[in-house]
Amino acid sequence: MIPTLGRTLILLALFAASGGAFVGFATGVRPTEIGWLWTRRLAYTFAALMGLANLAMEYALLTHDFSVSYVAHVGSRSVPIWVSMVSLWSSLEGSILFWGLVMGVYVAAATWQNRDKHSEYMPYAAAVWLLCGAFFSFLLAGPAQPFATVPSPPMDGPGPNALLQNHYLMVIHPPFLYSGYVGMTIPFGLACAALLVGRLGHDFIRPLRNFLLLPWIFLTVAIVLGGWWAYEVLGWGGYWAWDPVENASFLPWLTATAALHSALLVERKGILKGWTATLVIGTYLLTILGTFMTRSGVFNSVHSFTQSAIGPTILVFLAAALILSVVLLTLRIDSLAPEGTLETGPSRDAAFLVQNLLFVLFTFTVLLGTVFPLVVEAARGVQMSVGRPYFDKLSVPIGVALLFVMGVGPALPWGRATSQQLRSALLKPLLTGAAVAVLGFVLDVRNGWTMLALFLGGFAAHVTVSEFLLPVRQRMRSHGEGFLEAFGQAQRRGQRRSAAYVVHAGALLAIVAIGVSSTMGTSKEIQLRAGESTSLGAYTLTFVTAERVSEPHRESIRARMDVTKNGRPLGSLYPSMNQYENQREPIGTPAVRTSLTEDLYLSIHNIDPDSGTVGLLVLVNPMVGWIWIATAVMALGGLLALVPSWRGARASVTATVPVAAANPEGSH
Amino acid sequence: MNPWVLAVGLAVVVPLVAVLVLNLGRDPRSVRSPLIGRPAPPFSLTPVGGGAPVSLESLGGRPAVINFWATWCVPCFEEHAALTAAARTFREVQFLGIVYEDEEAATRAFLAERGSSYPSLLDPEGRMAIAYGVFGVPETFFIDGTGRIVEKYVGSLDRGTIATLIARAKGGAP
Repeated sequence: MIPTLGRTLILLALFAASGGAFVGFATGVRPTEIGWLWTRRLAYTFAALMGLANLAMEYALLTHDFSVSYVAHVGSRSVPIWVSMVSLWSSLEGSILFWGLVMGVYVAAATWQNRDKHSEYMPYAAAVWLLCGAFFSFLLAGPAQPFATVPSPPMDGPGPNALLQNHYLMVIHPPFLYSGYVGMTIPFGLACAALLVGRLGHDFIRPLRNFLLLPWIFLTVAIVLGGWWAYEVLGWGGYWAWDPVENASFLPWLTATAALHSALLVERKGILKGWTATLVIGTYLLTILGTFMTRSGVFNSVHSFTQSAIGPTILVFLAAALILSVVLLTLRIDSLAPEGTLETGPSRDAAFLVQNLLFVLFTFTVLLGTVFPLVVEAARGVQMSVGRPYFDKLSVPIGVALLFVMGVGPALPWGRATSQQLRSALLKPLLTGAAVAVLGFVLDVRNGWTMLALFLGGFAAHVTVSEFLLPVRQRMRSHGEGFLEAFGQAQRRGQRRSAAYVVHAGALLAIVAIGVSSTMGTSKEIQLRAGESTSLGAYTLTFVTAERVSEPHRESIRARMDVTKNGRPLGSLYPSMNQYENQREPIGTPAVRTSLTEDLYLSIHNIDPDSGTVGLLVLVNPMVGWIWIATAVMALGGLLALVPSWRGARASVTATVPVAAANPEGSH
Repeated sequence: MNPWVLAVGLAVVVPLVAVLVLNLGRDPRSVRSPLIGRPAPPFSLTPVGGGAPVSLESLGGRPAVINFWATWCVPCFEEHAALTAAARTFREVQFLGIVYEDEEAATRAFLAERGSSYPSLLDPEGRMAIAYGVFGVPETFFIDGTGRIVEKYVGSLDRGTIATLIARAKGGAP
């Protein structure tokens, strides 16, 4: 019953999306009111069908309907209800179905929001979205088939991957990642529409930027959640390993960040239009490359699901999208004529340009390092991996350079700066930077790059805070308002601007925290018997006992470690080894004690409750907690930047209705 | 039309797609062990249920499929039927199971329940597993008629993969 229903819904979604794409393109070429109406209807239909298909799968998962192949593959009667629910994205076919749902929501929301605006662009944009939607529907109807019928259904299934049950972060990481990845479809469609129309006007850059910002926030959070999960679960003590699939999520983030900045230049000066469109299109293509990396099995990675016909299908789509994008850009990029000139002297304009080039350089560095092992293997048949040294060596100078631009850029005025302006803008921040660097030296920082990061971080922090407060001080002076009133007014009036500085504050905090945590940590590996102690830095650890803990879905052995710092007891930590019913290797769970200055991190290598011994990895990681805090700040800043546009959107809908009614054909 | 965009675009896109296509056919589970191309390490182990020890020499120049497995491993369970069927099909190839870190009683019960068409050998101290560099189970080695290791496969095998890898061990096309 459910298999047939599910397959029918997917097929109808495929028809709706392909039909909508066709009607959309036709309407773009020859605009008509009825064409746009039907494009919209088909977009909403596609979204509704994807939603229903996901509901059908959830129903099958919760009722343990093992006649649905996906449920037979990942379902189990013995797991808790919440595990059954999130099993939707625990494995390959289900996660593509979930992908379809996210896409439906995005397409419907973007169509609805622009239903009576940007009439020359929107049919093209919706057509591109629905074309992408048609591809994913095809993937679900053909190669992936989550709703395939199991002829003789088993009584019970194996349950989802144990990693999913091991930590809640594994449950929330995929939805964030998909919301980031899939959301990039919307700006991609808008950029393609601008190229097809041959115009990227001041009015159209706003929706482009906002629909880029929303998935950017999700992607930022997803990347860090992935790192956090690795840190809390994998037990090697780090949060980022330059694994191909980590890189896969980082690459589109880099180009999207670059595009968010160049879009400001489009909005403000009418320049870098083609460049911005290229970055937005590149971002989408990198999300598809990332999807291919995770789904094809080409990359040997802890994240890769399995091999399947899905890999080749995505590769065909990726190749087609790449080539069509190059063709589109080649033919149309010159139609997006600049309305101004780029200031090349010391100015904020130039800082934007340098920032963009650094991000693109970073993208190519990571892309090359990720793909290089494949090149070697194809050419010489040798398996190799590009290790962390390559990525670390190249990303550290780029990260430091970005700190520099983040400090200098906002300190410079738009247009060319005079040397007088330069001096007064840079002097105080330089002093703050020097003070932070001296503080670091006092706290035993000796690594040159870390010192430089502290100096530039302090410099950029000063600039960020003073730029954030600049409108407040101006209001206090000119309106005679008190600080709080001026603060509130300034935020309300210049919310996007302040929000950008909130994001910057988070970003520079993150870079400094990453620099400090990766150079200032200490670690040791040790074998302990019950009752024995060891110390690392100010901490003393005593191994009290090894205990067995039995839960319905797993058996754990955990070590009770009593912790003191400078002789003061801090309680006990319980790193553990968990054995899941259907998993052959046990999965360790490290115990982390987080504080604002540093983390104490305990991970078990081996543990034997019978002989009372434990092999431990002990790390003291400074400032790691600040990476998570910094991410929250960045996400908050991103949301603050979106709020005025939502308000603005609502206001402008009511304002433009009479205009749209008077001139339904738009500018044609 | 902008020729620069075309040139740069193609310079990035064409090599990228080419590399991905070239790597697509690769099975990441077919691992390049340093043992490949080398003579298989010798062994002499007793079969489950007793009997004369089986050794590398006793294969007498026949190609062999050596499958490390255990009853506690779910993928081993999944591939068991495929291996049993393949051993019946490819009679010119000697199939051997090597029990990896498991109890003889559990193994005997498993084989009695699911049946088997080839002997499984006990490796109580794990010496053979160490000699073959086994990380975990299932891992399967394909050995040609001259006693050299031709392929190592990590993970659950299906019939098609077994046939392909046997063809390679026999030195012919699949």
